[in-house]
Amino acid sequence: MDKKTVATIAYLSRIALNEGNEEKITSDLENIIKFVDQLDAARVDGVEPLSNPLEKKAHTREDKVTAENRKDTFLERSPRSNEDYFLVPRVVE
Amino acid sequence: MSWETVIGLEIHVQLSTKSKLFSGGSTGFGAEPNTHVDLIDMGLPGVLPVANREAFHKAIRFGLATNAEINQVSSFDRKNYFYPDLPKGYQITQMTMPIVGKGSIKIDVDGIEKIINITRAHLEEDAGKSIHDLFDGETGVDLNRAGTPLLEIVSEPEISNAKEAVAYFKAIRQLVTFLDICDGNMAQGSMRCDVNVSIKKEDATELGTRAEIKNINSFKFIERAINYEIERQIRIIESGESVIQETRLYDSVKNETRSMRSKEEANDYRYFPCPDLLPVVISDKEFSEIKDNLPELPDEKEKRYIKESNLDEAEAKIISSSKTMANMFEEACAKTNDSKLVANWLVGDVSALLNKDNIDIEESKLSSNNFAVLIERISDSTISGKIAKSVLEEVWESGEDVDKIIKDKGLVQIQDESVLEDISQNIIRDNPSQVEAYKGGKDKLFGFFVGQVMKETQGKANPKSVNDILKKLLDN
Amino acid sequence: MSIQYKSIKDLSNMLLKRDISHEELIKETFSLIESNIDLNAFITLNKDSAIEKAISLDNNKVESTLSGIPIAQKDLFCTKDLRTTCGSNMLSSFVPPYSATVITNLENAGCISVGKTNMDEFAMGSSNETSFFGNVENPWGKNLVPGGSSGGSASAVSSGIVPAATGTDTGGSIRQPASLCGITGLKPTYGRISRWGMIAFASSLDQAGPMARTAEDCAILLNHMCSHDLKDTTSLDEPIPDFTEDLDKPIKGMKIGIVKEFDLSKLDNDVVKVFEDSKNHYESMGAEFVEISLPNISLSVPTYYVVAPAECSSNLSRFDGVKFGTRCDDPKNLEDLYIRTRSEGFGDEVKRRILIGSYVLSAGFYDAYYKKAQQVRRLIKNDFDNAFSQVDVIMSPTTRGAAFEAGSKGSDPIQMYLEDLFTIPANLAGLPALSLPNGFVNNKPIGLQLIGNFLEESKILQFAHNFQKTSDFHLKTPRGENIS
Repeated sequence: MDKKTVATIAYLSRIALNEGNEEKITSDLENIIKFVDQLDAARVDGVEPLSNPLEKKAHTREDKVTAENRKDTFLERSPRSNEDYFLVPRVVE
Repeated sequence: MSWETVIGLEIHVQLSTKSKLFSGGSTGFGAEPNTHVDLIDMGLPGVLPVANREAFHKAIRFGLATNAEINQVSSFDRKNYFYPDLPKGYQITQMTMPIVGKGSIKIDVDGIEKIINITRAHLEEDAGKSIHDLFDGETGVDLNRAGTPLLEIVSEPEISNAKEAVAYFKAIRQLVTFLDICDGNMAQGSMRCDVNVSIKKEDATELGTRAEIKNINSFKFIERAINYEIERQIRIIESGESVIQETRLYDSVKNETRSMRSKEEANDYRYFPCPDLLPVVISDKEFSEIKDNLPELPDEKEKRYIKESNLDEAEAKIISSSKTMANMFEEACAKTNDSKLVANWLVGDVSALLNKDNIDIEESKLSSNNFAVLIERISDSTISGKIAKSVLEEVWESGEDVDKIIKDKGLVQIQDESVLEDISQNIIRDNPSQVEAYKGGKDKLFGFFVGQVMKETQGKANPKSVNDILKKLLDN
Repeated sequence: MSIQYKSIKDLSNMLLKRDISHEELIKETFSLIESNIDLNAFITLNKDSAIEKAISLDNNKVESTLSGIPIAQKDLFCTKDLRTTCGSNMLSSFVPPYSATVITNLENAGCISVGKTNMDEFAMGSSNETSFFGNVENPWGKNLVPGGSSGGSASAVSSGIVPAATGTDTGGSIRQPASLCGITGLKPTYGRISRWGMIAFASSLDQAGPMARTAEDCAILLNHMCSHDLKDTTSLDEPIPDFTEDLDKPIKGMKIGIVKEFDLSKLDNDVVKVFEDSKNHYESMGAEFVEISLPNISLSVPTYYVVAPAECSSNLSRFDGVKFGTRCDDPKNLEDLYIRTRSEGFGDEVKRRILIGSYVLSAGFYDAYYKKAQQVRRLIKNDFDNAFSQVDVIMSPTTRGAAFEAGSKGSDPIQMYLEDLFTIPANLAGLPALSLPNGFVNNKPIGLQLIGNFLEESKILQFAHNFQKTSDFHLKTPRGENIS
């Protein structure tokens, strides 16, 4: 697995790669991918992918407002907020 | 060296459901930050989405009105990326099985009609809002909007210039308001659009590289942004460079588009089916019900007004072009059988006031109910047409009730014939020389007497009665 | 009278007969927790609230089976106002504002939650060695792993501290620790138990389940854990039977499938002997054995290690330091906030799985890995459907061996992944499966796995109960006693 791929995947996942872990992570990923490459041999022509073991349709909701205002409950659990907003470092677009 | 422009629009329409797409949080606009947020909207660990059936119904209406393929079985996918107002770190959307497939819509540009094909329309949840400029060095996140249902309508790249783009956007807006699936309120962000622009040489078969301009929510800006972008791309290519495929933002102050700095290089969304949501199936029975109850569309209304209400083409077109005005027309017609009267007022006085203030009917203070009452009062002769004009102006400014204005200002028309007769006789008695001149052949003086009675009654006399009475008194 | 090692039924009878009060029972439970603190089975205790509930039960006459029964809850379930960590630094101070449906169900049935049990971080692991809060000990040996990810729950039940615990099972995380700790644990049909409030690892594989001393106790718990929950669209809307009803029905003439493709010759002789003995035991009860084929079963583990990481990589994206959970100090900008929060908040195994997940879903690899894995998954499910037309239940060892030493699997993640060889297939197919103690290898317990057809928990419980009625493996304790 080349360095660029690992770096891209790490960035997509927002996980840091540094001198301490890059090598181990790269070799772990390589080994795991090699392991799952066993799937190559499987013959799956015309087989529908199964994304959930239940083959049923979803029940849905009625269009009703059921939530109360829980602003304080949520904001107090946030690592950084003021009385009204969650706060993050300034985003520049 | 002739350049051709290829434009595609992705319009995000906020569906007018009461609650969100996957939770019972309220979709109401303008609430205090983070007060319309449910556990599910927060993306708290352990929460699960459950789809709002009404959102599907609204999406299907759109599909029916655009003659589109409709998928009665639709499923959801996850689009994965990180942004502060995206609580789960992924958006639930429909990539593989959208609810609405290929359809089309007719647009009108300066009298020329064109059909624009629509690739698909799918359901997805909206993100929250990031507020960048209020807090020192920090960005505030408000999740009220997170989870609001959106219908993303994707057009084929068949739009050739800015005018067509605006016409298309307007046509979609008209359609979604008539279908009662969106309130069409651009200022509140109920409709936003991303524009994809590319250019190519006239005879080239391959499309050029496109740039995407994100999140425009006004007709004016769409037009300007597109025109700027076309110029920009032409300049780049003519100078020997290539257009980069990227996302840009339109700056309305500087009237230019600029590259989004926060865009990551690898924008891989890693779509996959959302394992928390099983497919939603719309039954045949449900589907028929939606079809049978589809609201009347502008074209149908126009035809009906011409046929049933006796309007002429111009009137019918104006009134049927806006859902609000159409509703106003229909509500007022229900109170009086004189549809021509109603039409005259809408196309005449009301439209004049809209033009004067440069606003749309939705933004005016004239409520449908109030307008209907005004028409009723004219119809039943409570007030004269002339007085009604001043009442309308008052309502326009204050939004006050018609009946209250009539009462407070004592504007009720004088109908009592004996009263009018007394007043008329007084006028006649007090103006002997004019009477003589009139009887001597100066017919035009009739207007003088009418004017005097009107003056005496502060304009409240029923004009027809005044005419009849004066005629009776003067012509015998 | 000591409460240690007592089953739910035992304790329920004691409470009913007033041999012990609710308050005494709970207080003794906490004493046991104290005196067994080295196990590190618990992350958070719920002492005051539990005692309060017990006292109120003493004051009101309540007579249901689960009334007043102490239960340990895996720290993957949200418990309102009680810290819930998932064994992770990321949630080390997280206090949920709501409770999981399964927690509410059990508490409404009268159970008293005594605390949150330790677990592999975010349910990823098979030995409870990845918890931010330290390893859990197996009561059967100081340096032995209890299995994972529900290691804390298994240890708590195995050591007799509590008669019942909740676990979750995505690839074997209830059954494997049950096997290594000598207790009984069941993963129901996917969708039987609501996932509302269960912090998601792999949404299409996760299921909650009971862990207890006997199959009967598991059945009692299951009766109350299952519900059709409108807050979870993957929650089954099937009638919920009384899972205790068929326990005593004889299994004579019923068919047990042995999987041809599970090459048991690769296992230790001792392990094979235990398994063969169990076969004989069932034969003596009149069951018949049928060899069945699950042709795609060898691809289960690679399939799992594509699907589960893919889903978890997405499920764990919400942990970003913005709305809840841990956040890094002084983030310089948004990217720094995300990267440092997640790198500091997650342990190595979680990171590995997130990275694998992102990889197999990324453009260019999706078809080859994720889509392929989902297709193989369907083949595996079809294989099971086919097999169940020939047999009532399928039997196998739960694990390749008994509990191993902590740290012995080395740094190769794949070695750990192969621990779940026998358990993973049932998760992929969404089928119910349980593990019951069926013997000892080097004085360490080991378990027998029974897999049932869709919705057939009652049948596998019936098989398990019949076995337990005529054997005493489940009655042995780490202290060397034989409880009865």
